[in-house]
Amino acid sequence: MLTKLVNHWKLGALAILATSVVVAGAFASAASPASQRAADTKITGAGSSFVFPLVSQWIPALGPALGIDLTYAAVGSGAGIAQITARTVDFGASDAPMSPDQFSACKGCVQIPWALAATSIPYNVPGLKKRVRLTGAVIASIYLGKITQWNDKALQKLNPGAGLPATKITPVYRSDNSGTSYNFTDYLASVSPEWKSKIGVGVNASWPTGIGGKGSSGVAGVISRTEGAIGYVDIAYALSNKLQVASVQNKAGAFADPGLRGTAAAGATVTKVPSNNELHIVNPPASQKLAYPICTFTYVILPTKTAKAAELRKFVFWALTKGQTYGPKLLFVPIPLPVLAASEKTLLQVKS
Amino acid sequence: MRPGDLLFRAVTALAAFAAVALVVGIAYEVVRQAAPAIAHFGLAFIWNTTWNPITRDFGAGAFIVGTLVSSFFAILLAAPLAIAIALFLTELAPRWLRGPVATLVELLAAIPSVVLGLWGILVLGPFLAGTIEPWLSKWLGWLPLFSGSPSQAGMLNAILILTIMIVPIVSSITRELFLRVPRELREGSLALGTTRWEAIRGVVIPYCGPGIAAAIILGVGRAVGEAIAVTQVIGGGTTLHRSLFAPADTLASKIASSYQGASTKLEGESVLYLAAILLVIALLTNIAAQVVVRRAEKRGVL
Repeated sequence: MLTKLVNHWKLGALAILATSVVVAGAFASAASPASQRAADTKITGAGSSFVFPLVSQWIPALGPALGIDLTYAAVGSGAGIAQITARTVDFGASDAPMSPDQFSACKGCVQIPWALAATSIPYNVPGLKKRVRLTGAVIASIYLGKITQWNDKALQKLNPGAGLPATKITPVYRSDNSGTSYNFTDYLASVSPEWKSKIGVGVNASWPTGIGGKGSSGVAGVISRTEGAIGYVDIAYALSNKLQVASVQNKAGAFADPGLRGTAAAGATVTKVPSNNELHIVNPPASQKLAYPICTFTYVILPTKTAKAAELRKFVFWALTKGQTYGPKLLFVPIPLPVLAASEKTLLQVKS
Repeated sequence: MRPGDLLFRAVTALAAFAAVALVVGIAYEVVRQAAPAIAHFGLAFIWNTTWNPITRDFGAGAFIVGTLVSSFFAILLAAPLAIAIALFLTELAPRWLRGPVATLVELLAAIPSVVLGLWGILVLGPFLAGTIEPWLSKWLGWLPLFSGSPSQAGMLNAILILTIMIVPIVSSITRELFLRVPRELREGSLALGTTRWEAIRGVVIPYCGPGIAAAIILGVGRAVGEAIAVTQVIGGGTTLHRSLFAPADTLASKIASSYQGASTKLEGESVLYLAAILLVIALLTNIAAQVVVRRAEKRGVL
């Protein structure tokens, strides 16, 4: 009996030993590329979830290209600004331009536009054959709670014969502070004087009606689970969640889609960049007939005095040039030349 | 005294004082960080029901109401349920069933809040919006509580999630209390000719009354502080609504969703002011539970 027990113990010990050897071997083989990466410079960033799909394409390319090990946390534009202000990360990212208060709190930071994409208007109305057409005024009325059903007269006028159902419209907004909310409210304020005076523009607002979702994924999730929902989310997320997005009428009267053509046309309206690099391209003038009216630049925020200045300059310069080539398949448009020039000029202010 | 004893005394005293220092330290730090907002808004912050980051007008009113409403309804649903479970497990279930069922009920408390929140979004939300809320709207829609249209995320969803969290706490404490009722009392009552239900209603429950009250207050404390699960299902509403279907927010949930991305200094400080108010509510709840227990101990029933 005792020998049987001892034998079982021996067998158990052997099994444990064998398993640990295998596991250690697996870790060792996995660790060797990591030990090579340990020689790379580590750069950390946090902020906008809007630019996250593009940054995550950059991360694997940066190691071999520049010897930079980049980590990025998509915690939202507001949190990104807060973290770079506290210098807990090397760079911040925000879709909303920084306010004068934020600039002074950041104590010597610059914002550099480094990507351009559209905010799409996804909706969940099953059974429609064509893309829904909307105007800015209608979207504002929906979010103000004035239009409550999909078969409202204003919507039917824009979409004749589409067979819009009598379902209730549930507007969905970002419950956390978000640069995408800033872009969306910026657009609504430019097309609706009522929105501008009652609600205003900001990374968060006192939304009169609707449901809040946390993060782009939260909003996209609520929309896909709620019939009749409508929301705003950056085009990359709408694409990855396979949401139907609406066409929005621009100033020229055409109904534009949030794709590369519409976004590039909106970006082309920038001829001069102000000294603080703050750019607004919502509701662009009618000269650009194909422009999608809800586009935004997104900014990287860098401290002007930092120990990692050389690496950060290398990284951002790469992002502004080679990095832009990763954009189009995620529907990010390469930044137009006037903006590229201004960004590179501002980048020179980052010194160690 | 021997040096070993002295050392033992010192170490245990240090641990106790460290705990006290931690409580005082946390409370002090929260109030200190919230001080600019307290100075700016004063006590009017407590009943101001606006939260507008654009006009920089912040107030805790909507969230205090949200916390009170969600906890009140959660305990309203959880207390009878928990007492019923405890009664079933101590008086009514066959002996072989008691152990497994008790274990499973306690496992409910072991589910991490964030997992419960995910279940709330993915399963409970659609079920509420598709089945429960339309039913309530049809039969009880004349009540302002059940007016408005069904929604997946809202106060009702949060109330149900909180109920699920409170039930295991209250039921396990109540079960312990019921097990400790002296046999003489129970047997005496049966000897006098009461039925089983009369014995439970007339002897067991009143005997355990203060203990059940303390358990309920502890459950409320749990509900008041729950942030993660609530913020996932409550919909992030910023205005007060009468209907339970509408999105709302509680103090804990608002702090969890807003602190990280606060866009202005004032907003960050206002969120800390919310934290200070929440701390006060949680401490008061806990003190209330302790008072109830102490009174019951004095009367000799605990």
